[in-house]
Amino acid sequence: MPSRRRTLLKVIILGDSGVGKTSLMNQYVNKKFSNQYKATIGADFLTKEVQFEDRLFTLQIWDTAGQERFQSLGVAFYRGADCCVLVYDVNSMKSFENLNNWREEFLIQASPSDPENFPFVLIGNKVDVDGGNSRVVSEKKAKAWCASKGNIPYFETSAKEGTNVEEAFQCIAKNALKSGEEEELYLPDTIDVGTSNQQRSTGCEC
Amino acid sequence: MDEEYDVIVLGTGLKECILSGLLSVDGLKVLHMDRNDYYGGESSSLNLTQLWKRFRGSDTPQENLGASREYNVDMIPKFIMANGLLVQTLIHTDVTKYLNFKAVDGSFVYKKGKIYKVPATDVEALKSPLMGLFEKRRARKFFIYVQDYDEKDPKSHEGLDLSKVTAREIISKYGLEDDTIDFIGHALALHNDDDYLDQPAIDFVKRIKLYAESLARFQGGSPYIYPLYGLGELPQAFARLSAVYGGTYMLNKPECKVEFDGSGKAIGVTSAGETAKCKKVVCDPSYLSDKVKKVGKVTRAVCIMSHPIPDTNDAHSVQIILPQKQLGRKSDMYLFCCSYAHNVAPKGKYIAFVSAEAETDNPEEELKPGIELLGSIDEIFYHSYETYVPTNNQEEDNCFISATYDATTHFESTVVDVLDMYTKITGKTLDLSVDLSAASAAAEN
Repeated sequence: MPSRRRTLLKVIILGDSGVGKTSLMNQYVNKKFSNQYKATIGADFLTKEVQFEDRLFTLQIWDTAGQERFQSLGVAFYRGADCCVLVYDVNSMKSFENLNNWREEFLIQASPSDPENFPFVLIGNKVDVDGGNSRVVSEKKAKAWCASKGNIPYFETSAKEGTNVEEAFQCIAKNALKSGEEEELYLPDTIDVGTSNQQRSTGCEC
Repeated sequence: MDEEYDVIVLGTGLKECILSGLLSVDGLKVLHMDRNDYYGGESSSLNLTQLWKRFRGSDTPQENLGASREYNVDMIPKFIMANGLLVQTLIHTDVTKYLNFKAVDGSFVYKKGKIYKVPATDVEALKSPLMGLFEKRRARKFFIYVQDYDEKDPKSHEGLDLSKVTAREIISKYGLEDDTIDFIGHALALHNDDDYLDQPAIDFVKRIKLYAESLARFQGGSPYIYPLYGLGELPQAFARLSAVYGGTYMLNKPECKVEFDGSGKAIGVTSAGETAKCKKVVCDPSYLSDKVKKVGKVTRAVCIMSHPIPDTNDAHSVQIILPQKQLGRKSDMYLFCCSYAHNVAPKGKYIAFVSAEAETDNPEEELKPGIELLGSIDEIFYHSYETYVPTNNQEEDNCFISATYDATTHFESTVVDVLDMYTKITGKTLDLSVDLSAASAAAEN
């Protein structure tokens, strides 16, 4: 079967509504932040080129497009993910407590072949809020959760100020690449439907 | 839920999801609900556990069939015409970015107990064992006429007005034999019965052209394409489009009762005691069963196999049309097969479907000629469903109801229904030739 080398890595971001999933993506890819919160509209996926050693990869980061609000993400969203980023708001206990649900939902829906070793990365976002005074989830508590789930890498970020975002996504990319390589190096030969009518030339036109 | 929406869509079947996507893209405020906790409604793809639950009343399929999650068994199996309306819709909305497609390997037709590759061009007609020597030449001439036919160029019409001349008259002009007419009408033009013979030939000719153009599009062995992981991916991709453009999604909503005002106009939808208001309701027939009527019944066998369909050159994906006349029926029967190559089954497994418009109450007996072509079968399920069309007047009640998916082998009629509903809902005609993503990129610059 003719195949091409796999260069696309799919990353999905999960977590409660309002924890800053879209903002984190935007900060990482576009270096932009908007203070005006609106439940995600118009966010699809963002792509960023990343280089590892001498190879170039495209990181495709999928937003939930707001479908997480009423637990209505379909199985297609989860399919083929190489890394799953879990996000909570350090100022919201509920968003931290729901991490278990998101992780389990991912494992059920995506059904990775090796669930024990599937790469998750945890991000505790909004550390900037109120100078850290409104924080309710301690770093210790978050790290303990990560340890209990097979040592998930953990980052504390501020999407608003750009703190630690680059570092978190570098780790995400590295883990996605590792899992992508173990999973399947080659993709089946699919066809490109996305281009409009391919007019075929029927030979000599002179 | 206590907000007001322009449109509430009920059911996440393919038709409803395409409409939801198109309406959200238009800037309408859309709420989309489904009583199930999964996408797709009647047009979903089931894993093995779901299949067993639905047809065997248990949730423990035997282990030798492989992992449940590796199965994606379509409940409404159809192939996608590579140059057809669904592909145009996918490109128009840029939903292709959420999906991966592969070409379908083969397209066959049944004649007197054997199956043959469907010839679609003048060159293939000359090589086809379906026809004798002289018939091949006649068929070749007919194919050249169809290939050269251009609606806008009267010179290509050979003096025939295809909006007046019937398909029967055109066929007799070329002197084609009955068996040839059978495969052209049913395996190329994909007519499900013989009514087309007495209708204007223009539709017949256009359908053959669509087949040939689709065949040329990706240089596969058939004019069809099919998504990896099964057709259940399609509604989800359009739902994502809708969500990206602001549509709100709620699965697992019980009841979903449409509320009417005193004059009989839909004004909202109630689920679990909460009512969302809206101006219009779009839904499949199951959500407004008193505004639809039964028009037919589709019957189907779903088979899990460990080999490709015999005599198809080991094709991993294939369609076989069994024209009605060959079986003494009123409408066609068709076979549809896909395998692990399209990620719808674990390695080594094939899913085959035998489908037809039900003409009896005994599906096992009725589908026998198709099932006999499959060879040995690991598991077989029989499945019938009634088809409905709306009977309401949407101008009076603001309800826009889709028709049940018909027995046709591909999506042309599905998208025709969607486009027709879109026009009724919005008063606009959708121009599929516009590439939305290109248009919005241009607007940003």
